[in-house]
Amino acid sequence: MQRIVIVGGGFSGINVANKISMKTKRKDVSIILIEPREDNVYEPFYLYWSFRKDPLKKFHIPIRKVLRKRVQHIPALATKIDTKNKSVDLSNGETIRYDYLIIATGARMAEEKVGAYEKDNVHHFYLTKATTELQEALKNFNGGTIVISPSTVPYKCPPAPMEFAFMVDRYLRKRKIRDKSTIKFLYPLLRPYPERRVAAKIQELYDKRGIEFVEFFNFERVDKENNKIVSLEGDEIDYDLLVLIPPHEGHKVIIEAGLGDREGFVPTDRFTLKVKDQDNIYAIGDCTNLPVSKSGAVSHFSAPTVAKNLLLEMEGKEPTEKYDGFTICFVVTSPRRSLLLFFSYAYPPKKFGLHNLFIYGLVKKAFKIAYFKAILRGYL
Amino acid sequence: MFMTKYDIAIEIDARGSFCPGPMMELIKAIRQSEVGEFLSLLSEDEGTRNDVPAWINKAKHELVEIIYEDGYDRYIVKKLH
Repeated sequence: MQRIVIVGGGFSGINVANKISMKTKRKDVSIILIEPREDNVYEPFYLYWSFRKDPLKKFHIPIRKVLRKRVQHIPALATKIDTKNKSVDLSNGETIRYDYLIIATGARMAEEKVGAYEKDNVHHFYLTKATTELQEALKNFNGGTIVISPSTVPYKCPPAPMEFAFMVDRYLRKRKIRDKSTIKFLYPLLRPYPERRVAAKIQELYDKRGIEFVEFFNFERVDKENNKIVSLEGDEIDYDLLVLIPPHEGHKVIIEAGLGDREGFVPTDRFTLKVKDQDNIYAIGDCTNLPVSKSGAVSHFSAPTVAKNLLLEMEGKEPTEKYDGFTICFVVTSPRRSLLLFFSYAYPPKKFGLHNLFIYGLVKKAFKIAYFKAILRGYL
Repeated sequence: MFMTKYDIAIEIDARGSFCPGPMMELIKAIRQSEVGEFLSLLSEDEGTRNDVPAWINKAKHELVEIIYEDGYDRYIVKKLH
């Protein structure tokens, strides 16, 4: 019997574990998922959750509930990956040997690199605790300047900070304090989205809603004593409330195993999804260095390639299945409206459905149901 | 490494990557390099032709030269501060 060990049980790890489980037999293959958390979080919901205190169960689900029965979940942290001896050390003292390894550790939110999140006016919405603090800060905000900015690229869900600007605009209007507030969206590029036509549409909507776009702002540091954010280009912008996407990097276990690049992301063949210079290791999701978005959609569309290539290798064949980089992205422009984009390695983002924002807004909301019921479970 | 009259400290091969990939790679390299060093960015993305010179101008570095190669462009950039 061969053993597949998956390190990391976020969306990517669970999804690929379920897919492999559906394509193999219990007597031939054992599948182990290593993930310290007991719950899976539907992370896109953080954007909405920043503005309303829904119970956690609305976007958390126990991993055991969505993992197929024959996949063994070990609730521990992987502390060491030994590629030479094909083993993984765990925080509970166990050492697990593997025949094939799938790295699905995601990206680490390097909050300590900003050195300002301890302030009550510097926040983000990429983790549960941070988002609850942002909820309070927004509730207590009674006018002033809200500044929204990424800190580094890449970060998960590229449109998220731009979407947050739309959402905060609506929130302030609802609270009738929009006229006492300024919203500034800072971005590293010349326009508010990489693709020109999409950027033009977003700029049009920003103009309509009075959201100020600041171009070419590459975050350098927070001057937390003076409530200023400073760019590499030398600009300084005052804020009363700063929403700063934290720096993303690879996890310690990846870096210490020598499996990461300079940012700790795993160098991965963009087509086969096999880890470069490794014989029996694949990587999926936000932990990779793939030249596409860090998003659940990329994990979803690449999971069949990982599963198929791994099974081909187990049969002694070449891993010939190729992921073409295809993915989709919903860009939320209000709680009920969004744009749909699709792109791949071969072509940049193309917009679709700009004429019918309302329908795609509904699709985005309905997507959460599909996520828990079908996608996470590996059915789609 | 490209042989040129410039002493290239960092070469960034961003071919096969769309905007904002090439520009973000250049910005990362600028952060890592020393003042006075030359960087070389390789890109086949058309958007780069507009965005990179605009960013270099904004950030007050120097776009020394654009060399049009077969199927891609090579941007020689000098870090000024």
